[in-house]
Amino acid sequence: MSALWVLALTPLPLAGATLLKRAWDGPSPQRPWLILGGWGLLVLAIGASVPLMGPARGPAAILAVGSMAVLALVAAGVERRSARNKAPRELAPEPSDRRRVAWRGWLRGFLAGPLAGVAALGCGLAVAICAPGQVQSRMVIGGLIVPFLWAGGMAWTLSDDKILRAFAVLASVATLTLGAAFLKGAL
Amino acid sequence: MDASSNKPAKTKAAGKPIWPKIPAEFVRAMLAGHSALGLAFAALIYLVCFSGSVAVFTQEFTRWEQPEGPVLRTVSPQAVDAAVRATLAKNPKAHDLLVRLPTPDHPRLSVHGDDAVGGERTYVADQAGRLVGEARTPWTEFQTELHTVLHLPRAWGGFVVGLTGVALLSSLVSGVLSHPRVFRDAFAFRWGGSKRLQEADLHNRISVWGLPFHLAVSLTGAFLGLTTIIVGVLALATFKGDASKAYALFRGPTVADDPRPAAKVIDVGAALANIAARYPDAQPTYIYVEHPGERGQHAIINLATEGRLSRGETVVVDGESRILGEVGYESGSLGFRVLSAMTPLHFGWFGGWPVKIAYFLLGLGLTAVTASGVAIWLARRRDKGRPAPGWERLWVAFAWSQPFAYGLSALISLLSPIPAPVAVWGLATLIACGSAVFGTPRGLSIMLRRISAGLLALTAIAHGASHVSVMADPIGWAMDGALLAAALTLALTTLPRGYPVRC
Repeated sequence: MSALWVLALTPLPLAGATLLKRAWDGPSPQRPWLILGGWGLLVLAIGASVPLMGPARGPAAILAVGSMAVLALVAAGVERRSARNKAPRELAPEPSDRRRVAWRGWLRGFLAGPLAGVAALGCGLAVAICAPGQVQSRMVIGGLIVPFLWAGGMAWTLSDDKILRAFAVLASVATLTLGAAFLKGAL
Repeated sequence: MDASSNKPAKTKAAGKPIWPKIPAEFVRAMLAGHSALGLAFAALIYLVCFSGSVAVFTQEFTRWEQPEGPVLRTVSPQAVDAAVRATLAKNPKAHDLLVRLPTPDHPRLSVHGDDAVGGERTYVADQAGRLVGEARTPWTEFQTELHTVLHLPRAWGGFVVGLTGVALLSSLVSGVLSHPRVFRDAFAFRWGGSKRLQEADLHNRISVWGLPFHLAVSLTGAFLGLTTIIVGVLALATFKGDASKAYALFRGPTVADDPRPAAKVIDVGAALANIAARYPDAQPTYIYVEHPGERGQHAIINLATEGRLSRGETVVVDGESRILGEVGYESGSLGFRVLSAMTPLHFGWFGGWPVKIAYFLLGLGLTAVTASGVAIWLARRRDKGRPAPGWERLWVAFAWSQPFAYGLSALISLLSPIPAPVAVWGLATLIACGSAVFGTPRGLSIMLRRISAGLLALTAIAHGASHVSVMADPIGWAMDGALLAAALTLALTTLPRGYPVRC
């Protein structure tokens, strides 16, 4: 039954994306309405999925199938260009050129990997052990924020040129959060 | 994501942008971090994404590998009990049994347990609970283990896959932040011309429109992979290192271990009847029969309820088939419900076949994003006059090694009496990567795609031919058809066209 509902709702995100594409194609007096209508249909699809498929399952299903349908729409609008044409001069930003210094590379790797991981683990443990609320909820939410914070820490340390600052922040966070978790020592 | 496609596709009237302007230096720094992380983890992310896309169809591949059935839609509690007793008759010392009941995704009754000599066997039962054969699904097990633990020791494999999930999540964060026009260019998709722009458009369009899926699978995958280490450290802080006490918080009512012999073996049929009376809207999906024949015997029964994003509620039943209580995965606190949603949300096992197909295609899309990320880096090097032809060939060979290795391992598993899919997969991957010594990236790509297409087609034909008279489960034909379609699609991508063939 859920398969039928998700198929029945798929035209909504597709129609929403079509309106957004029309708005994107070029300026026109209808542009604000197209944008509003496009986003409105996307929200409507998610909203309609809740009573039909459940409050968590419906939005998750429509986001997956809707994303796929919109990607197909984008692929259908592919603009083919001749391979003989030279690429236009790039206006896009280039990655920053960093000095290649071995110790900075190793330190950056240490910050993004183990240290950011320990700091994230510390935050997760602090939530699991010190935050108010039901034990299992604290554990799961604490566990979920670990990969999220680790990923954030990784992205930050790999892009921030001031690696000593990143080192100081991550080390402090790890010390504080793990210290608090181990000091309390009980769920 | 790559910022190479920041040039607008069409000239538009200038208007005030609604998006906040991000400083160029910040974007450049983020791009550098995005690039470094992507390159460091590219092969692992690629492997995990590709294997995850295939793993969406784990149930279907299980059925495809044993299409003889018996195909069961429902089964009586007495038949389940009979199957358990028949398995125990084969090995009275079995310590634990896993009984899988028929579900729409897996219409089989099977009992898995250890045998008398310490091995593990899965028996398939018919409508009456008689054991009619043994399930052998080596290739399905291979592909599942490749995705979940990369065939490494469980703790290490889980950690590496979890870390890969973290790296992927981090790449998503840095990718969005390093692409200031991420939404304004949402529909620009140009093919041909500059290789770098073509790859950048592919990379960015899939990344943007698949973002909800990418976030969901990377976060849940990282969580599932890192659970062991998170719980281990939590146990160190709170239970003096005893992780089992932390896991016990999610196990519901417990039955004390008592190895003395029981007067009679647990009646699983009666337990299921009691469950049906108390939970009329739920469908039992699997049962763990723990320590059968001992005084501490009990059963842990999983119940699925229609309309929930959940792996199901878990009910504990004692040796007298009395319901002791439930864990709370569907009725408990937020933590239980979130935990219960992780696996189905990660694998796409919650919305029927449209969601599975979407997960499969979006997973392949994420695989393509990974491949194109490295291709963009290599193209950028070439544009700057610092080409790396060896790496270009190796990356193309590695990227296309996986369809080749999967196809070959499936074919050998099907035909060989002693299937060793891991060894075949590893060897095929090495051979494909070794082929990078010869040829051009384009030549390698076409060759590996054509061989993969041939292997997939051969697998489908061999499977159909060898099961033609016993194919009781229609999914066997459906999967063969899907394999043929995949082979055809792959072969078609190698045909010459008016615009460049993608490497």
